[in-house]
Amino acid sequence: MSKLKEALAGGKFPIVMEINPPKGVDLKGMLAPLQGLNGQVTAFGIPDNEHAKMKLSALAAARLVQEAGAEPLLLMTCRDRNRLALESDLLGAGALGLENILALSGDFVSLGDHPDAKPVYDADSVQLLQIARGLMAGHDSAGLPLKGSPQFCLGAVLIPEADPMAPQLLKIKKKLEAGVDFFISAPIFDLEKLRQFKKLLGPQEVKFLACVKVPKAEEVEQAAQGQHRKVYSLPPEVVQELAGNDPEEVLLKGAALAGRLLRQIREEKLADGVYVKAKGKVELMAKVLEAAGA
Amino acid sequence: MIIAERKPFAEIKDAVAPYEKVLVVGCGTCVAVCLAGGEKEVGLLASQLKLARGQNGKASQIGEITVERQCDLEFIRPLSETVAAYDAVISTACGAGVQFLAALPEMKPVFPALNTTFIGVNEEAGFYTERCRACHQCYLGLTGGICPRTMCPKGLLNGPCGGNIRGKCEVNPDRACAWCEIYAKLEGEGRLGLIEAILPLHAHGRSTTPGTVIHPAYKRRYGAHE
Ligand code: SF4
Ligand code: SF4
Repeated sequence: MSKLKEALAGGKFPIVMEINPPKGVDLKGMLAPLQGLNGQVTAFGIPDNEHAKMKLSALAAARLVQEAGAEPLLLMTCRDRNRLALESDLLGAGALGLENILALSGDFVSLGDHPDAKPVYDADSVQLLQIARGLMAGHDSAGLPLKGSPQFCLGAVLIPEADPMAPQLLKIKKKLEAGVDFFISAPIFDLEKLRQFKKLLGPQEVKFLACVKVPKAEEVEQAAQGQHRKVYSLPPEVVQELAGNDPEEVLLKGAALAGRLLRQIREEKLADGVYVKAKGKVELMAKVLEAAGA
Repeated sequence: MIIAERKPFAEIKDAVAPYEKVLVVGCGTCVAVCLAGGEKEVGLLASQLKLARGQNGKASQIGEITVERQCDLEFIRPLSETVAAYDAVISTACGAGVQFLAALPEMKPVFPALNTTFIGVNEEAGFYTERCRACHQCYLGLTGGICPRTMCPKGLLNGPCGGNIRGKCEVNPDRACAWCEIYAKLEGEGRLGLIEAILPLHAHGRSTTPGTVIHPAYKRRYGAHE
C-alpha cells in the first residue's frame, strides 16, 4: 500500500508537495525538494504537462522521484493520450510500483505552449478512473484480460468554489461511482468557502486533500484590480497582505500564508490532508512547512 | 449546413498563376448561404482575378459558372465538357465538393478557393457557429439538445471539467461552458436523470475516415450487409 493511502486511511493528515518536471533534462531543480524535505512530506505530486506546457514526462519524473527514495503521486491528464496510451502508461506505472495516480481532464492545449497540438480527450477523467479500475480488476478498456494487474490509489480533482456548483457535484458523484480513493481540491485561500463546501458535500467516505498554493505576484495584482479569473478566489485580506510587494516578497509572504492555511486546515479538520503548490521551489516549500509548524 | 471561409486572395491567385484560362466554379448550396462560394462570390473572385492579372499585363481568360451543388454528380457531370476550354479550375465549394469535382473524367487541375471550417448554423446575417462534429453517435437526446462533443472543446461526456469559471468555458471565457448549459437546461426541464449515468468511452471506431453511409433502402443495390 502506498504511504499516501496509508496516511489517509490512518487519519495521519498527509502532506503532498508538488514538484515541477523541468522543460529539459536538467533534474537538479526538480529533485532538490526531495533531499530537503523528504522526512516531512508524505508524497511528491508530479504534474503532467501542467497548463498544457510541455515538460519532462511525468511518468519518468515519478520514477526518478521513487529512485531518489521518495513517494510520487503521478498526475495523469486525458489531454495528450488516447486510451491505448493512457492504459499502457498506467500499466507502466503499475509495473514500476507507482501507485498514486490523480486523474484529470487536463488544461486545454490552446492555453499552453503548443497551441496547435491536437487535443486528445479520448477519455474524460471519470472514464480514466474507470479504465484504471478495470486494469486493477485484470482487464483493459476493450475487455481483454491482463497478465498481472496493477495496484493503484486513485485520486481525482474537485473544485470547492465551483460556480455553478450543481454540475460539479454531478461530476463528483460520477467520480465516486467510478471508484476514486481520494480527492484533491483546487487551490483554496478562503477557508470560509472550504467550510461551506465541506458542509455541502456532507459526510464523505472518501478523503480529500485541500490544496494550498503560494500565489504569484501577477495573480495577486490581478485580484487587486478585480481581474482574477481562476476557479478559486483570493479574499480581500489576502490581496491586502500581498499586493504591492515586489514579486520575490510576494512569494515569501505567500508561502507564510500558505503555511498558516495549512495549519488551520489541519487544526479545524477542514480536510484529510493537504496538497501544496509552492512553485516547485524548495525554499518556498520549507517556508510553508515552517509557517505551518509541521 | 457546412460553413466555409474564403481563402486569402493571394493564395488563390498564386495557386492558379501558371494557368492562362481558369474557370471559377461556384456551389449554390451551403457555401452560398454562408456567403463564401455562391454565384455572387464567384463573380467577385473572378473580377478580382481579372483585375490582378490585368495589372500584371498577363493575357488571361477567367470564366464563371455556378452549379446547384458540387457534392452531387447530377449537377457537376456536365462540367466535364465545360472545362474543355480551360486550363485549370477554381472551386468555391466545401472540401467535399472540390473533391467530387476533381474526380470527374476529363477534369483539369482543381484548386480550392475556400477553407472548409465546420458544420454549423446561421445565427444572424454573416454570423455562423459550429454545432456538430459528425461523431457518428449522437448524444443530443441525453444532453438537452446541446452537443457535448462540439460545444465543449474537450468533448467531455460526463460533466464539466474543473476549469469553468462562473459558467464560462476555460478555453474561451466569452463562451458558456457547455456542461453548465446542459445541466441548467435539463434541470429546468426536470430531466437531470438523463445525465446521471456514466457514459462509456466514445466509439471512435465508427468515425474512422472516410466514412460511408448507405441508406437502408439501398443496401441491396450496393451489396452492403443488412
Ligand atoms: S453528439 Fe454532437 S457531434 Fe455527435 S452527431 Fe450529435 S451533434 Fe454531432
Ligand atoms: S469549461 Fe465546460 S465547455 Fe469548457 S472545456 Fe470545460 S467542460 Fe468543456
